[in-house]
Amino acid sequence: MASGVSGYAAISTRVRAMYSDLLSPQEITRLSESPDFSSLVSALKSTPYGKYLSGLKDNELTPRRVIQAIKHRLADSFSSVAQQAPEQTRPLVKQLYRYFEVGNLKAVLRSIQTVSSWNAEVATWDRVREVLFPFGSFSTIPAQAMVESGSVGSAVEFLKGTAYEETMSFAMKRFSAEQNLFPLEVALDLDYWRKIWSEAKKLSGKDREMATKIIGSLMDMNNLMWAIRYKVYHKLSEEELINYTLPFGYRVSDEDVRAIAAGSDIASVISRIYPNIPDVSALLENPQAGLPKLEQALKQQVVKTCTSAFIGDPFHIGIPLAYLILSDYEVQDLIILLEAKYTNMADADYRPLLLKPAAV
Amino acid sequence: MFFPKEMTELELIIPSKDVAAVAKVLSGRGVFHQVDSAYLGLENLGPSAWQEKAGNYSALERRIQTMMQTLGLPEEYPAKASAENIVEVEAIRPAVERIDEQVKGNGDQLSSEKKHLELLESQLRQLEPIADVKVEVGALNKSAYLHSILGALPASNISRLRTSIGRVPHVFFTLREDSQKPVVWVLGPKSNSDVLDRAAKSAYLAPLSLPEELSGTPEQITATLRKEIEASKKKIADLEANLNKLGGVHKTELQKLLWDAHVSRVMADAIVRFGQLRHTYVVVGWAPSVSLNGLTAQLKEVSKEILIEKHTPSRSEHNSNIPVALTENKWLRPIQELVTTFGRPSYGELDPTLIMALSFPILYGAMFGDIGQGLVLMLVGILAHKRIFMKGLQSLGLLLVYAGFFATVFGFLYGSIFGFEGHSAEVYLPFTLHPLWLSPLENILTILGFAIDAGIVILIFGYLLSLFNTARLKDWAHFWFGHTGVVALIFYFCFLALLGNFLGDTAIAPKVAVAIGQLPLPFNILTPVFALGLMFNGLFRNIAEGHRPYVQGGVFMFIVTSFMDLFEGVISMLSNTLSFVRVGAFAVAHGGLSLAIFSLAGEEPTIGFWITIILGNIFIIGFEGLIVYIQTMRLHYYEILGKFFHGGGLRFEPLKLKPSQEEA
Repeated sequence: MASGVSGYAAISTRVRAMYSDLLSPQEITRLSESPDFSSLVSALKSTPYGKYLSGLKDNELTPRRVIQAIKHRLADSFSSVAQQAPEQTRPLVKQLYRYFEVGNLKAVLRSIQTVSSWNAEVATWDRVREVLFPFGSFSTIPAQAMVESGSVGSAVEFLKGTAYEETMSFAMKRFSAEQNLFPLEVALDLDYWRKIWSEAKKLSGKDREMATKIIGSLMDMNNLMWAIRYKVYHKLSEEELINYTLPFGYRVSDEDVRAIAAGSDIASVISRIYPNIPDVSALLENPQAGLPKLEQALKQQVVKTCTSAFIGDPFHIGIPLAYLILSDYEVQDLIILLEAKYTNMADADYRPLLLKPAAV
Repeated sequence: MFFPKEMTELELIIPSKDVAAVAKVLSGRGVFHQVDSAYLGLENLGPSAWQEKAGNYSALERRIQTMMQTLGLPEEYPAKASAENIVEVEAIRPAVERIDEQVKGNGDQLSSEKKHLELLESQLRQLEPIADVKVEVGALNKSAYLHSILGALPASNISRLRTSIGRVPHVFFTLREDSQKPVVWVLGPKSNSDVLDRAAKSAYLAPLSLPEELSGTPEQITATLRKEIEASKKKIADLEANLNKLGGVHKTELQKLLWDAHVSRVMADAIVRFGQLRHTYVVVGWAPSVSLNGLTAQLKEVSKEILIEKHTPSRSEHNSNIPVALTENKWLRPIQELVTTFGRPSYGELDPTLIMALSFPILYGAMFGDIGQGLVLMLVGILAHKRIFMKGLQSLGLLLVYAGFFATVFGFLYGSIFGFEGHSAEVYLPFTLHPLWLSPLENILTILGFAIDAGIVILIFGYLLSLFNTARLKDWAHFWFGHTGVVALIFYFCFLALLGNFLGDTAIAPKVAVAIGQLPLPFNILTPVFALGLMFNGLFRNIAEGHRPYVQGGVFMFIVTSFMDLFEGVISMLSNTLSFVRVGAFAVAHGGLSLAIFSLAGEEPTIGFWITIILGNIFIIGFEGLIVYIQTMRLHYYEILGKFFHGGGLRFEPLKLKPSQEEA
């Protein structure tokens, strides 16, 4: 406990201060009441995101640029927490941050694959850069060189010496045979979650308890959604589904995933794990419309787990982890709002997708 | 010196004909921070020819770099770099193609031979786990009833693969336990071959792939592979010798070509980011005001018709997009590095480097006061700075010198040399040493109280600097109601008065706090008034800045959070103030550690005694020196800088032709 107190005194205070800077559900609702895209951006300027938007001039306000700017705040939060977290928990925080690097890596590979399949001119770095997460000096992948290499094979060569080399070496054999990014992306995802789980398990005491609870909740959501999508959309066989999912999590167990793989009723499996999610069967009747809602409900479970981390003993890694995940969800809400306002989407179409107002 | 360099925004309008010459000046002087023309909204005027050129130069530069790598040449520019001009692509390309033709043949052969060798070695590795199996490898695939899969897969997928085939009969062998590429062998009935194949594929199992011409038992195939590996290695050695020879022949020419391609690429990249109009280009960027005259004179020299608009913004204007160039001073560089690790000052903000250059060594010296050990630190610092000893500490060399100097000064004040002080100095040293001020070990409470007093003065100084910063930025809401604003500062005085009156005449009572408490001011009225001010700081800020709603989350919640803010504020003031106790505590601990070393050394001045003293001093300098360094840094980052310094400035990144040493 003593080491917990000394190790967490500073970061816990700082994270709580940063937590209080997150937008409240009322603020998100107020933002969503902006009549159009530019008023939304103006309203955002008076929030803690204002600092990141101040560099953008009025004539360059496109959703991409604004989204890129607000993502900088998330990147700053991650770097700040990663630098201040106690030594033993830093690998876990850094691995959590790698989620965005994995996303960047997938985006880079998709850009190369899309352009080569269109047989168009080589994708310019400038086009790809705009959609990448501003990872800064934490990035280990040479994204620009990869994009400019022009082929997935040559791009993956650039990953030598990085944490992705081994995973990609196996996955590339399948890519070469199938010319499809699916095996690469699945391999990257599985590798990411296995590593973060292993980092969480390396911790001890309260740190381990909170890390496995919070990271495990995130994994539960991903694992369940993978299993359902593989079953419903990709029609994968039992053995493939098992190999493309994870056998661990906080509430979702290997037995649950295997039951879905073996063809059990998905709704009853989910209802058993999350009795408080209503009408799962109804959601799964029309997967096209129902799965996003189910994912939303699962995200709400993650939000609850994260929010509960701020109650009680403050000297553990749960608080920084929960803050980072809630920050990410906040950015996701803002992205939905920005895109909805830019495309003049009706309120009823996007409001159910917002996490924060639903969490009230 | 106290602020980042003054910057001037430049907007240049250049006739198209002069664009290359202007790009040369802007890139060559290393003082111009370019702003991308995309941010000017001019990017929709059609593709620029320069974009294609930049792409070509970049491709040529990479091609030359690849050739140099193939030839084993370091990527260096010529010792005497030729003119810094854009060289036409066609002036570089023929020479590059000529050399590439010679290098490529050998290089391609070498890389294909290396791949061949890698394949052979991987085939050999695949066979190792089944070297003892007396079966023909080909026969495994010809079985009428059994389906066999032999191959490597990621170690983390093994257990999942086993789970996935749990429902069909199978036999599973892990032939090689390897953390990276374990080899497994899965056997099952032919009737389940589709399940086994799907499972293996989805577990990323790469089946053993041996060419058909390699037949026989694993032992026979291994012998054949070994022979082929030997032949391949010899071929690789011959090809490498050829490439070395070619490297010697083309080294100078390649270095020149690399320089030309690099310079042209840097300038073309800069031009691509210019805003292009029909007959002119618009360039926007920033330069330090001190470099402006030289830069504009040179620009006017190369382009008679250039139009230059200058604007030097005030430091109090909105300035988050102004790049921040810090004052360069080699003596302050290590301190500047400490500051930029915490944050880069924003344009209008006070650069705390000079303040920290004083406070850091003084606080360090106060905690590590010893004449001998301070001098040793200084010596180590000088040697490290000169890269004679402990080269890894070169960047910290000067910091060690400053810290060592003040440790020496405090050594005189405390009367301590290599741990000898007072009686021990009289007994073992040929001279007497009396503290010019006091011995921490003998005046523990005095030094602890003094440390808190010093801390209070430093914290008040921090509050004042914060007021100075916010006043300069005309951020009046924070000036009055910020966490370190006027209201908070006055409350801190009230808090000190209460503390001083409470501790009264106890030995540990901070004298500054006692003195404030004795001021003829109605602290019993001021304290609750300013406590309320501190409590509702957020509300007052919202009102001052016009942020609505003024009260968030309902009145009750607002009062609760405001009270928590006040509580946190009081706790922070107390902990920040008491935090400086560590300065005195470490001064005492330093003496205590020396005493422990003397206890180990004994009393007789034998050889053993002196060896123990020397080893003990090395330990103290290395171990305690490091801890004191961390504590000093902690005091600055948490207690001092946090009061007035926010950071978040944009890094000044001028266009440069030669990569030079990074600015702090």
